[in-house]
Amino acid sequence: MKTVREIAAERTFLLSALASSSITVGILAFMVFMGLPLLHEGGFFAILGNAWDPYRGAYGIYPMIAGTAAVSLLGLAVAFPLSLGCSFLTAGIAPKPLRGVLRRFIELMTGIPTVIYGFVGIFLLVPIIREFFRDGSGMCVLTAALVLGVMISPTMTLFFRDAFDRIPRAYLNAADALGASRAQKLIHVMLPLAKKGMLNGVILALGRAVGDTLIALMLAGNSAQVPSSVMEPARTLTAHIALVIAADYESPEFRSIFACGVVLYLFTMALTFLVRYLAHGEDARI
Amino acid sequence: MKKVSLLQTALAVSVLALACSPAFCGSLDAFKGEKGVLKISGGTAHIPVMKDVAQKVMAANPGIQITIAGGGSGVGIKQVGEGLVDIGNTGRKPSDDEISRYNLKLFRWAVDGVAPVVNPSNVVKKLTKNQLIDIFSGKIDNWKTLGGTDRKINLYTRDEASGTREVFWEKGLDKGAIAPSAHVVVSNGAMKSAVAQDPYGIGYVSVGHIDRTVAPVALDGVVPTIETVSKGTYKISRGLFSNTKGAPAGLKKKFIDFLYTPDGVKIIEQHGFIPSR
Amino acid sequence: MRRRILEKATVWFSWAAGLTLLASVAVLLCYLLAKGHEALSTGLIFGGTPPLRALLLQERVFDGLFPALAGTLLLIILSIAWAIPVGISTGIYLAEYADGRVKKALDAFFDVLAGIPSIVVGLFGFASAVFLHRHFSDRIGPCLLISSISLSFLVLPYLIRTTQAALEGIPGETRLTALALGATRVQNIFLVLIPRSLPGIMSGIVLAIGRCAEDTAVIMLTGAVASAGLPSSLLSQYEAVPFYIYYISSQYADPAELTSGYGASILLLMLCAVLFSAAYGIRKGLTHCTLYRA
Repeated sequence: MKTVREIAAERTFLLSALASSSITVGILAFMVFMGLPLLHEGGFFAILGNAWDPYRGAYGIYPMIAGTAAVSLLGLAVAFPLSLGCSFLTAGIAPKPLRGVLRRFIELMTGIPTVIYGFVGIFLLVPIIREFFRDGSGMCVLTAALVLGVMISPTMTLFFRDAFDRIPRAYLNAADALGASRAQKLIHVMLPLAKKGMLNGVILALGRAVGDTLIALMLAGNSAQVPSSVMEPARTLTAHIALVIAADYESPEFRSIFACGVVLYLFTMALTFLVRYLAHGEDARI
Repeated sequence: MKKVSLLQTALAVSVLALACSPAFCGSLDAFKGEKGVLKISGGTAHIPVMKDVAQKVMAANPGIQITIAGGGSGVGIKQVGEGLVDIGNTGRKPSDDEISRYNLKLFRWAVDGVAPVVNPSNVVKKLTKNQLIDIFSGKIDNWKTLGGTDRKINLYTRDEASGTREVFWEKGLDKGAIAPSAHVVVSNGAMKSAVAQDPYGIGYVSVGHIDRTVAPVALDGVVPTIETVSKGTYKISRGLFSNTKGAPAGLKKKFIDFLYTPDGVKIIEQHGFIPSR
Repeated sequence: MRRRILEKATVWFSWAAGLTLLASVAVLLCYLLAKGHEALSTGLIFGGTPPLRALLLQERVFDGLFPALAGTLLLIILSIAWAIPVGISTGIYLAEYADGRVKKALDAFFDVLAGIPSIVVGLFGFASAVFLHRHFSDRIGPCLLISSISLSFLVLPYLIRTTQAALEGIPGETRLTALALGATRVQNIFLVLIPRSLPGIMSGIVLAIGRCAEDTAVIMLTGAVASAGLPSSLLSQYEAVPFYIYYISSQYADPAELTSGYGASILLLMLCAVLFSAAYGIRKGLTHCTLYRA
């Protein structure tokens, strides 16, 4: 026999859960609702494939998709070796007392605001890149990717560490018993066993790289072109949303940034489900 | 009891100080007793003047809050038209279509020019109009061609909402193309600091914004300055407008009126613009 | 022999990677400190206004960070106020009531929510503001209220996950004792389980505060402006520290303004460092899984 208070409390909890989950659906639903006119005109795919040249009536976001891909994939390429090395260090290569300190420090690094990375990037890294390569302005795909790489490395490192930590103790003990060195244990035992967990980390870091706004906005130069080299400036989807301020939602500018929003939403959602799928497979195996 | 009296003295002193400050006492009288929020957005060339005026008004009248955002002329027109802000600034004259659609009332309070600018370290400080057009279309892409160092020319342009861009494109580039590889910055202020930091950059900025961090480029022999603009020898000029939806009233009207008072005119001149009568 | 080389290479590579990452962050910190240390004074925050008079709202601050700091503070308080009740109750529901398919579905929703880029949340907030402005009230536009609600969406997954994890981490005996003594389920939750999981919940709240303090993408679309003074109501626009840093980075008018940008960066960095160490300190085993969003 439940009292009224019991039921009221339970209802409140349920209601909160429904409310918060409806936010997820709500954001997508609202965007789809706002974008209906686009679909009616069959314009959504045209927007995805077209160039951005408002003076000629072209409001496509293809260059921004290319820019996002370039910056985030290159950023990932910078971050992967850094994170791999750091996770090796904290997982066994560094001397024991140092590992804890290192890990604490990497955890703290996840809290550095992205706007600060961008701020220092503009005044410190941009001139260096410009004078080192003697090409372009220094605001380019490469600069943004380097900073982005440093920005996502701590998170990626922590995910790699998680994957290592999930390896059953028995495997490690077996390796120790066979007299393996720390490096041997890492390469031959831990790395193969943690592969899937590490893939998760890479995917989640990609989601973060694609979703970051400030670094690309401040460092990539924002030109609406498909970059032909890493020294060229580019604009990401996120930066495009930040740059194009629209005041009414009938304007083609708004549709364009709205299309960016939908693409970003669907892409990160796909990544999330991929991670869930992979994690599910892993659970089943162990 | 003592605390209150102290507070009162402080207040009295500050009121006295305000009353005695020589400038701005007369022109600011109009704001006495006004209360409320005034939202301003749009043209970025206007921002320094807007900020200064807002500061004066807010310092003298604690009941007034004035918020200032950029966005560019296009954003200013749309936002004031949609009622999202009270005053929408533009660095170009709103088109007839925009005026009639939103029932805009225009107030031109200054004349300004748009000048091509380079980094002060750049030796190229003179260009012909045709060279300018070729640079921005990407046809000329190395400073060496123009007698400078052997480095790529880095183009800087503004976003599509910019009135500065539209004026420069129309009068400076004769509606020629701007290469898509150009870096995009969001305001006159950002253009100035971008070119100030890039020794090989070229961009265009409101004449009022030019200071020693950037060098104006003489166009067909005419150096863009406040004098050449007001004499009319430098051709790329434009008005700075503040626009309201319908005839302004209350705080909006007082704010715009202030720009035409002697004190307002002084602020406009201080920021390098030519006050219009 | 080949194996030994591989091992040596691994060790070298790890140290190189670790030192590169640490060095880049060290350079970042040193550069900020070198450029900004001279700006660190009460003048940075209050400009020429006497601090006490500014704090008592007797005099307005124009050339200092005070309005931006106040805006950020208000933003944090409001966002957290919206997010805490909903987030914690949802966490309780997930941990204590939901099971089977419902739990799986909710899990998926919150994972997706945690992954949405913040600029998309900002765009949603902006579009809703324009929508409300047009169809409901003239007075609504991008403002403090809209920003804080959007930010609360952003940090909701942190609160949900940390609450859920803290509750689920309580051992079975503790969970059953009160129930065996005749407590009801709700009594058990409020009197036994929540007090036991407070550190976990607190760490989530602190992290959420950190996110609200540093986020720039959401607020730049939903109401942060270059110059506003102190916000006069929930429906007014405002200044905020991270937006100030972004704004200064591209449009500083003179070297003094740039220096104050460095000063603001140091302030924000210190704030985030304190919050993050606090969050990790409160609960040692805090999972970073909630942190991966941009």
